[in-house]
Amino acid sequence: MSNQLPPKPRTPAKVVKRVIILLAVVALYVWTFSSVNINWERVFSERTLENINRIIPQFFDPAWAETGTILVKMVETIFIAYTGSLAAAVLAIPLAFLCASNMVKNKFLNTIGMWILGAVRAFPEIILAIIFVAAVGPNPFAGVLAIAIGSTGMLGKLYSEVIESIDMNIIEALEASGANKMQILFYGIMPQVLPEFLSYAIYRFEIDVRASSVLGIVGAGGIGTLITFAYLNRNWDEVGMILLVIIIAVTIIDQISGFIRRRLV
Amino acid sequence: MIEFKNLSLVYPNGNEGLKNINIKINEGEFVVIVGLSGAGKSTFIRSVNRLVTPTDGELIVDGEDILTHNGKSLRELRKKVGMIFQSYNLVKRSTVLKNVIAGRLGYTGTFRSIFNMYPKEDMELAYENLKRVNIENKLYSRADELSGGQQQRVSIARVLTQKPKVILADEPVASLDPPTSHQVMKYLKQINQEDNITTIVNLHFIDMAMEYADRIIGMRAGEVVYDGPASEVTEKTFEEIYGRTIREDDIRGGEVNE
Repeated sequence: MSNQLPPKPRTPAKVVKRVIILLAVVALYVWTFSSVNINWERVFSERTLENINRIIPQFFDPAWAETGTILVKMVETIFIAYTGSLAAAVLAIPLAFLCASNMVKNKFLNTIGMWILGAVRAFPEIILAIIFVAAVGPNPFAGVLAIAIGSTGMLGKLYSEVIESIDMNIIEALEASGANKMQILFYGIMPQVLPEFLSYAIYRFEIDVRASSVLGIVGAGGIGTLITFAYLNRNWDEVGMILLVIIIAVTIIDQISGFIRRRLV
Repeated sequence: MIEFKNLSLVYPNGNEGLKNINIKINEGEFVVIVGLSGAGKSTFIRSVNRLVTPTDGELIVDGEDILTHNGKSLRELRKKVGMIFQSYNLVKRSTVLKNVIAGRLGYTGTFRSIFNMYPKEDMELAYENLKRVNIENKLYSRADELSGGQQQRVSIARVLTQKPKVILADEPVASLDPPTSHQVMKYLKQINQEDNITTIVNLHFIDMAMEYADRIIGMRAGEVVYDGPASEVTEKTFEEIYGRTIREDDIRGGEVNE
């Protein structure tokens, strides 16, 4: 008895399709690279080297004198991220339930929910920040609004996936014991989804700390304002200090949130 | 008393779950429904608390035709009819106590239940019921820390806390090993005798059906093909119900010696 596998079925149509896709991808790459006009001579010129020699060392010689002001702005950045992601963590819940097909058994409403979340996700935070700076003025509140709206899109989507993955048998068991809809929400659904909701919200806060550090560039508060001022004045040592503070703050927050998230689920 | 009168159920996809069922189940009886999977056992049991809705006929529970119930009256029915599931269906991240007190939800106002403000008697009832199934020492453990048999006992305690007149059990031992299966069936039988609660259990193990049932109802393809006291049932009867010879996996075995 031979243990040879039967040959994999291979139709000519499939082979042709694959070859066409391969050729198309290769053509795309060739076209892309040939149409980028990189001036290699300029990239490796004396001037580039000079600039690098002049600026890069300044990054590694941070302006320690500015530590106080920078820390205050970093704290403001974290507050913007915190307030924004907290608002998003709450705003996302009703939208998530609207999208979850096992909660709202109406394809039409699910789709509307998905569209709302999709539309919100389509805006980068920085664009939202520009809009809110125009609407409420150049202050941290604009940053909070930008973060809140931007995060709602992602959290809503993730939450609705959590809701769709819950054990519906438990809901059936509670229904069978005569519980009403609100009781089922608090006894059957919430215990199953809350830890994951919280975990995603903390993860989103991590992202928001990074996102809110650039919002200041468009005037929406936080440490970004300092970056703009420093680089407009060519104070590279100050930029270096700001980057250092951001890196340390983000690392610490990542570590803490990672620790909390591991213990949650 | 539960009475099925010409009861039929056709699923939206055209499958006939139940075909013209006429059965009377008396108060306090311990009925075991046997049949192969797909025979309509689950549909039969789930009709009694309206987890599925029969499409034709009448189903009388406690003097009322339950087919017209909805909303409030349906919840009232479900308070009287407790249910136990194959997969226990406990909230895994909640404590045993919280799972058991959930049996009182039908009796407790929404506000009170959300803020955990149960009357003292209810908490005592929950604790007493955990004692009845010998799992009171796990009171504050999370449900997912318990073994399958322990979880099923917690779900029995939850049903008892509901103070039902009828207990339905849909394949309660299918996920358990033989000794634990017997333990769970013994608790169900004991509760049936002590509290006079009508109990309807779905099983496909013939030895367990014969051991614990007062009465056996056999189903095949949505129809009742046998109905009689357990004492008159033999392996031959099961072969008729199943429409084939008895195999090894129809028998659970492993009686516990306590």
